[in-house]
Amino acid sequence: MNSSIIVFSEEPKRIIYPLSFAYLLKSKLGENLVAITLDSEIKDEIINKGIDELVLIKKRALLDQYTTILKDEITNKNIKYIIGSSSNNDNDIISRIAAYLNIPLFTDVYQIEINNENLILTRKVFGGKAVSKISINKEEQIALTVSAKKLDIELKSKTKIRYIEELPVSNVTFEKVEKKALSGVDISQAEIVIGVGRGFKQKEDLKLAEELASLINAQIGCSRPVAADYKWLPEDRWIGISGKIIKPNLYFAIGISGAPQHIGGIQDSKIIVALDKEKSASIFNYADYCIVADLYQFLPVLINKIKERKTK
Amino acid sequence: MPFNIAVFVKPALNLNLLKIDSEGRVNIEETPLAISEYDKNAVEEAIRIKEKYGGKVSAFSILTWGPVQKRISDAEKIAREILSMGADEFHLVIDDNVVNVTTRETAIVACSLIKKIGSFDIYLAGEYSQDTTSSQFASRLATLLGIPVVTFVNKIEIQGEEAIVQRSTEYEIVTLRVKLPCVLSVTGEINQPRIPTLRQILQAKNKPLIKYDLKSLGIDLDRKNIKHEYLALQVKRKRIFIEGKSLEEIADKLIDKLLEEGVIKI
Repeated sequence: MNSSIIVFSEEPKRIIYPLSFAYLLKSKLGENLVAITLDSEIKDEIINKGIDELVLIKKRALLDQYTTILKDEITNKNIKYIIGSSSNNDNDIISRIAAYLNIPLFTDVYQIEINNENLILTRKVFGGKAVSKISINKEEQIALTVSAKKLDIELKSKTKIRYIEELPVSNVTFEKVEKKALSGVDISQAEIVIGVGRGFKQKEDLKLAEELASLINAQIGCSRPVAADYKWLPEDRWIGISGKIIKPNLYFAIGISGAPQHIGGIQDSKIIVALDKEKSASIFNYADYCIVADLYQFLPVLINKIKERKTK
Repeated sequence: MPFNIAVFVKPALNLNLLKIDSEGRVNIEETPLAISEYDKNAVEEAIRIKEKYGGKVSAFSILTWGPVQKRISDAEKIAREILSMGADEFHLVIDDNVVNVTTRETAIVACSLIKKIGSFDIYLAGEYSQDTTSSQFASRLATLLGIPVVTFVNKIEIQGEEAIVQRSTEYEIVTLRVKLPCVLSVTGEINQPRIPTLRQILQAKNKPLIKYDLKSLGIDLDRKNIKHEYLALQVKRKRIFIEGKSLEEIADKLIDKLLEEGVIKI
């Protein structure tokens, strides 16, 4: 029996990321490719492009229900790789499946290479301060979750579609869901980002950063406490390992001390400017231009200077 | 109703003291250990549940960074810190054969250790470890134990034989009801971990710290042949402090620099 690659995402629009990794593996290793996701319009975009079988789940389910569905799909099959997206939900579900199959799982992989014998997987570790290169024999059964990246590989193959109508039982009871208030801005794509941190004493004071942002056409991001603890800004503004990883031309950190979790999210920036009143702040170790000053005094001066130059 | 609570703590690499060698590799053996950040939140939550409902908190660690001999005192220090916070006992696995393993093996060892010690009502862990951030331990452990799991929990309330938990993901907060026993992974937002008092630190010295190796647990770990290489991402920064007689002068210099770099337009 031909061995298979199983691709899964509980969120249909995210399935393109694990799919593109699967296309790469399929094109080099010639595996059978089965994709499983929630039924949605995405099917029109992905059919007949490399997926041999597409399994569509008719109703949104709880994580353990998706897990049971996946278990049913893989039991008694010769599965080589299982790949999900690196969303919180997919990571969780794929972890359960990996434990069920007693196989290793590597989460948040952003690069995959195939050499003679081995797969080489790359993921960020140590709070973004290092990358881990993992090499494992390509015949080894493994699971992966992969972070947002689309590879330019196009395959053609006729896709057979099958539906799952009924959900298995769950061992948790759903009570309610609340959508998080998000800004809808993707700061990971911004060219200039201003990061605000605990140096700001109250939410109203963020106006200073917003005024500067509008003058230099920047997006506002923030450190973990500003989003997670104080809730001054929505969570999609949060820069760091558990928030967004940004890669702007200019990152301007204001009143941010520079916790490792934050530094991990800014290292791909071209130029980093840091403003903090403590000369010993660790952010200065990661900045190109450092200004030791009270932000409440410095920002109004900087804003005026930029305005002056604009009118000249 | 008292609860028997298990909490998992990873002796993780101290990211503030990461050692890099001349070839740009992370020198794991020379990098000291620290308690993985969100595991402290898990410990805090375990102690809060115990304080509210009564019960016992047992903490568990598996030392996965070598060299083992050099790390024992570091791992014991971590154990004493957790005991000072309010855990009642600490179980520590130290064995050369669990060094550099993946979460697959850590979960297998944790499951065997749990089964040896007894059973618990609630199992807690951090949402991910600060060093390898694999974020799979809780889900794997629950699967091996055959009990429910909820990850990324930022609120826990116990009602009788059930936990009502809030799960926080990228887009939403879902409230779920889950039967005990269950495994929960907690976020950094769930609480503010306490800092032990001097008295608690002294008291912790008399609490049980029990060490195990794989043989004493009866585990014959089948490790996969996986090679890990850790390469430091060294971004060279200019680290120029802009100084001047006045804030006006500093602002002017900064604007000039940014225009020179071509990263802003005015």
